[in-house]
Amino acid sequence: MHGLSKEAKLEALRSRIATIEKRPLLAETPSVAELETFALPAGMLHEIFTDAHRNTAALLGFALGAARGLVTPERPAIVYLQLSAETSETGLPYASGLAAFGIDPEIVILIRAETIIELLWAAEEALACRAVAAVIADIGTDPKALDFTASRRLGMRAVDARGTFLLLRYGLGRSATAARLRWHIAPEISGGAAFDPNAPGETRWRLKLEKGSWRGRPNKEWLLGWTKNGFDILGSPHARRLPVPAPLPRAFPAALGDRLSQTA
Amino acid sequence: MRLAALDAAATKGGLRLGQSLSDARAQMPLLDSREIDPPLLEAAFANFADWHSYASPMVSVLTDAAPYGDLVLDITGVSHLFGGEASMLETVTGKLRALGFSVIGAIASTIGAAWALTHCNQPQIVTASIAQAIAHLPVSALRLEDQQATDLIQLGLKNIGQLYDRDRKTLQARFGESLLIRLDQTLGFLEERMRPRLPLVERFAERRFADPIGLMDDVLMCAHDLAVSLAVQLETEGMGAKSFHLFLYRVDHQVMTVSVNSGRATRDAEHIGRLFANRAERLEGDYDAGFGIDMIRLAASSVCELEATQIGAFETDNGAQNLERLYDRMANRLGPLSVLRPKFVNTYIPERAVKLEPVIARTADDPLAAPDPDAQRPLRLLPQPEPIVVIAQVPDGPPVRMTWRRIGYRFVKASGPERIAAEWWMGRQLPILTKAAEDAALLPGSIEAYYDEAKALRDYYVAEDEGGRRFWLFREGLYGLEDRPAWYLHGLFA
Repeated sequence: MHGLSKEAKLEALRSRIATIEKRPLLAETPSVAELETFALPAGMLHEIFTDAHRNTAALLGFALGAARGLVTPERPAIVYLQLSAETSETGLPYASGLAAFGIDPEIVILIRAETIIELLWAAEEALACRAVAAVIADIGTDPKALDFTASRRLGMRAVDARGTFLLLRYGLGRSATAARLRWHIAPEISGGAAFDPNAPGETRWRLKLEKGSWRGRPNKEWLLGWTKNGFDILGSPHARRLPVPAPLPRAFPAALGDRLSQTA
Repeated sequence: MRLAALDAAATKGGLRLGQSLSDARAQMPLLDSREIDPPLLEAAFANFADWHSYASPMVSVLTDAAPYGDLVLDITGVSHLFGGEASMLETVTGKLRALGFSVIGAIASTIGAAWALTHCNQPQIVTASIAQAIAHLPVSALRLEDQQATDLIQLGLKNIGQLYDRDRKTLQARFGESLLIRLDQTLGFLEERMRPRLPLVERFAERRFADPIGLMDDVLMCAHDLAVSLAVQLETEGMGAKSFHLFLYRVDHQVMTVSVNSGRATRDAEHIGRLFANRAERLEGDYDAGFGIDMIRLAASSVCELEATQIGAFETDNGAQNLERLYDRMANRLGPLSVLRPKFVNTYIPERAVKLEPVIARTADDPLAAPDPDAQRPLRLLPQPEPIVVIAQVPDGPPVRMTWRRIGYRFVKASGPERIAAEWWMGRQLPILTKAAEDAALLPGSIEAYYDEAKALRDYYVAEDEGGRRFWLFREGLYGLEDRPAWYLHGLFA
């Protein structure tokens, strides 16, 4: 390690500690390109809280937006889990809405579990599958089974399989968790629509990092907007409009031969 | 009330089947009688019948002519495994006798003949002509109705043999067609099919144990081993299967069945073994090995062709296979209706435009059903539109305030309306919520109701409250045409 600079040494030491502790390596100093966009770090467990159940759609939207950024041709699926008793309260994600939000509904699989134990089992199985980009578990209550041990277990599994687990929670209470990063999300009044000032425009969220450190930044609050490309950081000096990208790749290009013609 | 079954002591005392209960009581004052419980007996007998699939894959219970059924085994091509028909009959009935049952068995080339022989207490194997073997039996052994048998006996036709040379037309005229059908079935002129109780499987692997096993882990290990040998069998034939059934034969003549399904045809032993393991975790409480399991059979059904795939060269590994396996495992553990994919339906009615489909039973997508990407649709759709209280500035204008689930919201932005009306071209399929439409559906031929602007339409608005929450709500019907149009909340936007 003699010939290396101080930064490189630190980096090497950090990666060693990360392997020992079984946790993903988070870059401490972000590059400029990273500052301009917002993406949740992959390969770990995130807990995302919102204050009340009526913010459920904003929470789901943020999670799906984050998950969309993780979809690659190698990891083409998003798994959404919810207890079936809670789906009758809030409803499941709506496929037409997903399409309008920029997510191919084909890649989303919805799982209704009867009990929290089954839900956690399914979450772990899904995390272990290396074709799943993100696992989103929407848990409306505060079940006993979801304790520190369970979250630690899910976190380890996520790191092992390099899967991303987004645990959506509600309320003001916070229990012990093994998640390294805990976020808080709140809906924000939308930006103006293009031709009608009275109409709701693009979605916005106010995001706060409650626990853990990420990118080593002093300000731990973001105002995020939704564009066709993903998240857009608003009100930041680095923020800049992103070019409109090509649509997402389809989920299973190899299976095209079995499907109906794409042009029909 | 009549006697349906007797034990040895009662038979010795001179009672007979079909005797009325009061007669029997008069004959034997200390008679201990129980009322027959057909569902319980049938269930027990069915279990008992399933257990016999150790001897032959085709097992069925004939229920048409006995108080709780007759067990029929099709032993075509099986008897040599037991060392011939005689020794097979001895083995099968001997096992039951050892368990304390009284049993009579016969082997014949038709179901009817075997039935006649057993019910007349003549255990034998018919190798020569059936007609000769059963000629001396009473006519009631033909599975006739009581009235038919009585009439035949009154005319002096007591034995089956006497019917052979009678004029068939007169027999039919006098006793009905069913007599001839029964006679022909018994003699083998008319085919009689049995309905197998368990699905008929051609591809299976089985293992018998000298000592019964009981632990779930042992069963699963054995299932995996069987999966390996079944996989080899399937691979040589170039086949794969979508359903796998594990039959566990308990020592005390019970069979337990565990089935798993796969979304795509497979023959991967590892995968099959894991599916059973996942399934077993869920079964834990119901699993009861009793006194042990002495035979396990793994059978494959829904078999279809599966070409061998080359692995490695030029393959783009996109994880699709991993995903399918994940879905299989989840569906087998959580139930197929818990693992769903959204599927679009070609309609404008929001709650019908998407339906959920089990991932492991996917059907082809409708290319016309793809949603309009420009339409604003919520991220969550409530299971049912929920009635809300809304105040609008002007009757036809966007909403200003609403109360939903007892919480008030004040809107600062709104857009709309987007009008979605009943689809008259879909016939009677109207939005369930529209009360008027429900009424209209009841009236035959009232097509006008579909054009009724006051009733069969919804005006959808997207409204945003002070906190930035966005809602999808609609007004059912129009002001002016309706007294007080009702408002509903239907979805939530991100």
